[in-house]
Amino acid sequence: MNEMNNSPSCERNPDLIAFLYDEATESEARDFKLHLQECSSCRAELASFGLVRESIVAWRDEALSGFVSSPLAAKAPARSALAALRQFFDLSPLWLKAAIGFAVLTFCALAVLAFARLQPKAPAVAVKDPNAIYSQEDVDRLVEGALAKQALPAPKPPIPGITVRLTKPKRVATSTQMAKSRRPLSRSERDQLAADLRLLSTQEDVRLNLLGDRINQ
Amino acid sequence: MDPLSSDEIIVERALTGDAEAFGEIVRRWERRIFALTYGILGREEDARDATQETFIAAFRNLRGFRGEAKVSSWLHRIAVNQCISRQRRAKVRSESALEEEQEKDASSFVAPVDYSPLRVAEGRQETLAVRRALNSLPIELRQVVVMKEFEELTFREIAEALDLPLSTVKSRLYTALKQLQLRLQKFESRN
Repeated sequence: MNEMNNSPSCERNPDLIAFLYDEATESEARDFKLHLQECSSCRAELASFGLVRESIVAWRDEALSGFVSSPLAAKAPARSALAALRQFFDLSPLWLKAAIGFAVLTFCALAVLAFARLQPKAPAVAVKDPNAIYSQEDVDRLVEGALAKQALPAPKPPIPGITVRLTKPKRVATSTQMAKSRRPLSRSERDQLAADLRLLSTQEDVRLNLLGDRINQ
Repeated sequence: MDPLSSDEIIVERALTGDAEAFGEIVRRWERRIFALTYGILGREEDARDATQETFIAAFRNLRGFRGEAKVSSWLHRIAVNQCISRQRRAKVRSESALEEEQEKDASSFVAPVDYSPLRVAEGRQETLAVRRALNSLPIELRQVVVMKEFEELTFREIAEALDLPLSTVKSRLYTALKQLQLRLQKFESRN
């Protein structure tokens, strides 16, 4: 062993390599450490191999980090939009930050104004005053309205199995409105009303004397 | 593609016709294979080509992968073979041409911006010295150094990838380090 220690190279090269690369088991490492105390050759080699490794690793790191154009370069991790914004703000000058802040505030104020304008106004609710005094004319109008409502047939219940096709409701001139307007129905209004109520065929309206109807007067 | 799937499962999927499976293998291993080929060949262009050829060869021989070794070992073996065949082809080029290329590569050393000119020059010199020392090693020694230092593979993984006994890997690594040490000492004494 001692003879070997003074020789340029020791027989325990494999152990030295395993120890150098930290691949020796615990007992092997302990044993080799004891050997190192006696073997100057192994001590010198361990030190010089360590320097060689440092040089290789330094070259590796420099060489591989220089490949900016390499397709194999590490892809930048995908950042969130929030992180990108934060970085943008960090890098921006103060005047740009202030301008962006002002723009954001203006935009918010405009958005609030626009929203307020687009909101439908609450309909004026006609509050029925229990103490209100009605004239004879008012009473007549209300009675006529009620009568006109009664004259409308009740809607038929939907037939099972029939798909209901929802269409935009036609603007139907109701009897109440007619009573309110107190003017005779035009031909088109009559046609519309007859079609809506499915009461009369278009041929029959010739015989009708709608102008003589009290409701239409 | 499940990122937790093992390479072996992904290769099985590729064998059953999953078009994306092999792409996942490439994504997982391209950087490390590039580091390996760069370490052995020493030139970025050659390393890129060798990396590309490695994956093409792996795809072509996918059916030949029997699952006895790990996918990583299989890929490393293909990459080393690609490097060896490239080196053989490169031997037809003259030594002077290689020297010129080495000088050119050394001048493209990218130093951090805060390095002083002296430090940059030293970095270039050291890079050149290490590269030359490594390139002068026989390929069988160079590949174990690169697999250990660039890939940080264990002795067992290197042995599996190169189909060598464990003791041979250790002895080759020892010889390689010894030769590198001598070459770097020569370089230092000259400077």
